[in-house]
Amino acid sequence: MQQLQCIFLLSESSGEVMLEKQTTGHHVDRSICAWFWHQYHHHHNNDQMSVVTSPTHYLFPLIRHGIVFLACTQLELPPLLPIEFLSRFADILSDYLCAGAGVTLNEDIVKDNFVIVYEVLDEMMDNGFPLTTEPNLLKDIVLPPNLVTKVLHAVTGNSSPSVGPTLPHAAASTVPWRSTHPKTITNEIYVNLVEQLDASVNRDGNLRRCQVYGEIQVNSSLPGFPDLTLSFTNPLLLNDVRFHPCVRFRPWESSQVLSFVPPDGHFKLMTYRVKELKKIPIYVKPQLTSDSGNCRIYALVGVRNDPGKTIDSIIVEFQLPPCITSADLTSNHGTVDILADKTCRWSIGQIPKDKLPSLSGNLVLEPGLDRLHVAPTFQVRFKIMGIAMSGLQIDKLDVKNMPANPYKGFRAQTQAGDYEFRS
Amino acid sequence: MLPQMGAAAESLSKASSLVMRIGTDAHLYDDPDDVSIKPLLESRYDSEKVDALKRLLALIAQGADVSHFFPQVVKNVASHSLEVKKLVYLYLLHYAEKRQNEALLSINCFQKDLSDTNPLVRAWALRAMTGIRLHVVSPLILAAITKCARDPSPYVRKCAAYALPKLYNLHQEETSSLEQLVDVLLRDNSPAVVGSASVAFNAICPNNYPLISKHFRRLCEALPDVEEWSQIILIEILLRYTVARHGLVRESVLFADITRDSTFSSVMRRCYVEGHELWSGDGRGFEEVEMGTCKNEDVDLLLKCTAPLLWSQNSAVVLAAAGVHWIVGPAEEVKKIVKPILFLLRSSSAVKYVVLCNILAFAKAAPLLFDSFYEDFFISSSDSYQIKTIKLEILSTIATKSSVPFIFEEFQDYIRDPDRRFVADTVAVIGFIAKRLAVLAGTCLEGLLKLVLSEPLVSGSYQVEEEDGVLVQAIISIKSILKQDPSSHEKVIVRLVRNLDRIKNSASRALIIWIFGEYSSIGDVIPKIAPTVLKYLAWSFHSDEVEAKLQILNTCAKVTAKTKGNNKDSTLFKKILNYILQLATFDQNYDVRDRARFIRNLMGNETKNNLDIYRDLAESMFCTKPASSPYPSANIRVYLPGSLSQVVLHAAPGYTPLPKPGSAVIENPAGLDNSSDVDESEGSSPQYSTEDNRLGYDTGTEEMSENGEYEETPLVNISEANVDQGQTSQNDMSNFVSTDLSEMMSRSALESWLDETPCFSDGSFGQSRSQNVSTSNARVSFNDRNFKLKPRKSHALLEPANSDGLRISYSFSTEVSSVSPLLVCVDLLFENFAKETLRNINIRFEEASGSSISGPMDPVLEDSASMVSPDKIPTLLPMEEIPLLSPNETVKRILQLRFQHHLLPLKLHVLCNGKMYLGKLWPDIAYFLRPLSLDMNSFVEKEKQLPGMFECSRRCTFSDHLQELEQNEKISVNADKSLVVAHCFAVKILSSSNFYLVSMDMPVSLKPDDMSGLCLRFAGEVVNSSKPCLITVIAHGNLTEPLDVTVKLNSEDTVFGLNLLNRLLAIVQ
Repeated sequence: MQQLQCIFLLSESSGEVMLEKQTTGHHVDRSICAWFWHQYHHHHNNDQMSVVTSPTHYLFPLIRHGIVFLACTQLELPPLLPIEFLSRFADILSDYLCAGAGVTLNEDIVKDNFVIVYEVLDEMMDNGFPLTTEPNLLKDIVLPPNLVTKVLHAVTGNSSPSVGPTLPHAAASTVPWRSTHPKTITNEIYVNLVEQLDASVNRDGNLRRCQVYGEIQVNSSLPGFPDLTLSFTNPLLLNDVRFHPCVRFRPWESSQVLSFVPPDGHFKLMTYRVKELKKIPIYVKPQLTSDSGNCRIYALVGVRNDPGKTIDSIIVEFQLPPCITSADLTSNHGTVDILADKTCRWSIGQIPKDKLPSLSGNLVLEPGLDRLHVAPTFQVRFKIMGIAMSGLQIDKLDVKNMPANPYKGFRAQTQAGDYEFRS
Repeated sequence: MLPQMGAAAESLSKASSLVMRIGTDAHLYDDPDDVSIKPLLESRYDSEKVDALKRLLALIAQGADVSHFFPQVVKNVASHSLEVKKLVYLYLLHYAEKRQNEALLSINCFQKDLSDTNPLVRAWALRAMTGIRLHVVSPLILAAITKCARDPSPYVRKCAAYALPKLYNLHQEETSSLEQLVDVLLRDNSPAVVGSASVAFNAICPNNYPLISKHFRRLCEALPDVEEWSQIILIEILLRYTVARHGLVRESVLFADITRDSTFSSVMRRCYVEGHELWSGDGRGFEEVEMGTCKNEDVDLLLKCTAPLLWSQNSAVVLAAAGVHWIVGPAEEVKKIVKPILFLLRSSSAVKYVVLCNILAFAKAAPLLFDSFYEDFFISSSDSYQIKTIKLEILSTIATKSSVPFIFEEFQDYIRDPDRRFVADTVAVIGFIAKRLAVLAGTCLEGLLKLVLSEPLVSGSYQVEEEDGVLVQAIISIKSILKQDPSSHEKVIVRLVRNLDRIKNSASRALIIWIFGEYSSIGDVIPKIAPTVLKYLAWSFHSDEVEAKLQILNTCAKVTAKTKGNNKDSTLFKKILNYILQLATFDQNYDVRDRARFIRNLMGNETKNNLDIYRDLAESMFCTKPASSPYPSANIRVYLPGSLSQVVLHAAPGYTPLPKPGSAVIENPAGLDNSSDVDESEGSSPQYSTEDNRLGYDTGTEEMSENGEYEETPLVNISEANVDQGQTSQNDMSNFVSTDLSEMMSRSALESWLDETPCFSDGSFGQSRSQNVSTSNARVSFNDRNFKLKPRKSHALLEPANSDGLRISYSFSTEVSSVSPLLVCVDLLFENFAKETLRNINIRFEEASGSSISGPMDPVLEDSASMVSPDKIPTLLPMEEIPLLSPNETVKRILQLRFQHHLLPLKLHVLCNGKMYLGKLWPDIAYFLRPLSLDMNSFVEKEKQLPGMFECSRRCTFSDHLQELEQNEKISVNADKSLVVAHCFAVKILSSSNFYLVSMDMPVSLKPDDMSGLCLRFAGEVVNSSKPCLITVIAHGNLTEPLDVTVKLNSEDTVFGLNLLNRLLAIVQ
């Protein structure tokens, strides 16, 4: 039987067990959490273990938002199942507890809403196997907390029921992702291309690898049972694709169009990859020279192939090698911080028109070391609104089965993914 | 920022976090036990109950044991508030196993909720009821699941499917009814239910291939619509089925030539099919076992339906679909999976790691699949160490001549990585690649040498352990490359040795000294520098560490042993050796002293006569090389793609390799499952029809005629419903209703028959008839037993495929054993499907010792013995051996058995031709009865004695009569329809159970099609306990539609009764 025996929620910082949910008759003792905690902290901290073999159980940890989601099993099961499930669970919790609140999930929020966490988890998993994981459906069964009920609760002292009155019809329909009675209909649909640019430049300044990983995020608020068709002007660009379950396979196979009945609210329609791009929008030129126990560092940041839109929130980061005892860094633009874990963060923001931002400084090596023999990698983060660097373009979005023509919005943005320069 | 602004911001963030907490259950989590919980639980208000339950939940979350509240909590299960219910369920599920007795209290409420109009309530009740895992109520749970499996709401049906494995865990022995339910759910229209049913299938009967065979096409087609989690399981089921049914596909990667290393793919093939434990060690003829088949329709369909799943957003689904293509897909199709699985690498690091583990196994078997995608395995600085190393290993596997320059260029950057562990691994991989691609050996050696001699590594001033790791690894890599072809890399050795003085790390020094010693006689230059090197070693000996000292000793001995003849060098070497030996004898470390003593004895003694022997010994010891094998095949650990075992590299508990290819022989692909009783497969066994078509009550009627008192019993009774049945009119009626049933059938409909007033001489009847008309609830009852019973259903005990052609099928017989009333008779039919004659066929009980009754016993004695101390071992009366069974011959035998359990199968040993086969005999509870001949009066009386807890009833629908009616329509228009229905009913029950038909009451109504009031009574005696068991079947509804049937059972033996009721329901439906 493929099943998870238990799910624990731990605090990443203290190791405190916040919640336990046993899903089968074989209870897992919570001492396993202490064991895991010890392993996690005493082995290399930066190595995220995906499958941990403990003396009694196989553990699948997922660490997100300072919370360790720990699934335990004793029997063979496809390891990606618990991994995917936990990440889905974390997503759904964030959506339940933090949507619109402007904060990210953290351990306090989980503790404050432990009843909802239990109820959601119980609906998501039965006998250790995923039961209902469709967010729209879950929200009909376990109502997410909203401001009105919270205030009511605070004022009257009576908590409003967190459990839905009846089973949503969607649970029975062939399109389980779509609830049949969407709450508020604004008759709008927004399609957002969000791309991450991965690039890697070697120490000679040659572009070794450049690709885009993109997502099509849709926010739909349409009445009834809309049938949508999204087509691209240049679908052949797409190297790899993965789809939301609502996308029909046939139309894509035959003519590369996305035909689907959308769920309500936010969802990820498709993820894709465009490989072998040739142009990167921004470059870093690091130079390190070292002799007699000192290392001089000089790094220059500039725009290479102007994308035509402003490049925003540029941050350059690199890890100081362990053999460096002290560093003195200055820049002509932006601020430089050295964090506790020896990460050096240079926040640039936007590149000014009149000068190229540069970073310079001196690193002092450990005594006894004459020259620096290792080279840090410079990672760059940025954001460009209004452009998809892959060049993917949406041709049109046809809407069928609708009484009135909805408002359609399209947006695009690119941000840095694994964007790195080796020195 | 100004300080006061900072303070403001801080208080603002505090305030906002406070706002966040408003209306949450924060205070309950912080102080769950600041109030007394018990009174709250008993409060009248739902809100207080909710509060209390939340506190309990908080305590559970924090790891406290609050099971002592169980009695109070369990009461609240009856609450109407959904929220209270949900919270109670959460609590119950956590503690039910600890507090079994109290948990029993909740069962009634669950059963009530199961009939709620809200599907969510029904689903929750079912989930909670099955989740509390109480062994004692498993029959009730089975009944609940059976009910929910036919629920109108797919969500409830889905939960029913999920409940099956829970019941199975409680009750591992009894699977046939669960398998039937799986079968029902697999037929469901809703893909969500089908998906959950496949999850249940995998947990309950993963090897029931006939069941999949029935649904294969539908399951494949439903695959894209099934929920993602179930897809993972369903894909695996279909894959296993395909392999079991059709074997491995000969065109697949596992056989194809694109694998560079054919031994690896054959090892992989074995691992997939047999698992490690079975094959490691003996290399027996595996190839004969496996059956490669050309691709066929099923395989094609499976591939076609899994292909789109490679686009799934769920990485587990993608990997599962890729696994199918990998194992059964033809080699050209396998290319399809490469890009989708590589795309998975752009997911979270956990997913990445698991996928990489699988890619590594794929790449080892078929490196050519991945060789053009080497860039995807380049390291990014955000990768964890685990991921980096596995990427390196994949790169070393897939590197080809054309890609290596790019890979090495990339490696140049890795060498400068701050993580020195990773650098060491990179260096090791360079060694692997150079070993595999000999052309590159020169370049690699050059690069490695440069690395070894680069300043920071060798400079003694900066010594870090990790740095040493890189150095040692580099030299190990050099060493392994040199091994391939030492003579052409002579210069490398010379350069290494010349730099020996600069290298301070002892492990590295030891390695270089070993290399020198090993290849000291190769080429032109090395022998020339040998004296100098040895002198240097002798000089540095005292300052070296143990590791290096030992190698210096070895090397000196080796060089000396290799130098033949008595030239100048030879004497020099001996001198140096003696010098070093002397130093070593007084070393502080005893290992060094031991080694020195050993070498001195071996080589230092020139005075001895048998010098040659020592010399030969030394030479063979130092100069021969052990043969190396590239892949010690026992060390390859391969598990099925996508499995946990493949990631942790050991067989996790519960891991099962693929079934033996071609092991599933399914005779009838259209699919009739032998064990499924739901199927109406009577027609498929015509060979029984002649013998089984005898009257159902052989023994019963005989007894009666002996008693003689039933001879006057009329075949038809007419009575009034509201007077006590059977008491009044029996004797009155006997005069005019002595007609045979068949005669009656030839007359017209029942009403017209009743209208023949001249027959009714008795006034009282006239009266009752008028009442009939007015109230339309009078009945006509029959006591006719001349039913043409259907052939009893036969099951397979032994299939010819497993037993050299012997087929044994069994059907339960209604005969009463002549030996003991406790024994049940089973008709066995032996058939020989083989071409040769089978000899000496006999059947034994599995536990041979003292289990079979040695001879006829006094039934009374046996009976009383079993009452006192019930012998738990089922017993078997020895069967008369069948000496010969020629091909196509069939022989019948009667086996007399005693079952102790109603549900567990009896394991039997079938002996044939001196071999022994195992067969399972599934009990049929409907035959664990003896017919009990009662008249109406005593039936009613007995029924009155068994009220309340001895009574249970359930409802179902009956639709068999529709078919019957249709047939009858054609034959005779006159036949009375309601009679046909009643007849149909009786036949149905009597042909698959061993009851006595007490009465059959017909409704008499104005509406010709109204069947309401049809009532049949059956009586039997439980074989084991001799307690009476009474059945009343009452039907409602119109005869042109499926009838609504209530089956009521009265028996003292309640457990038996529950099980029997379930069985009867299955029969009726």
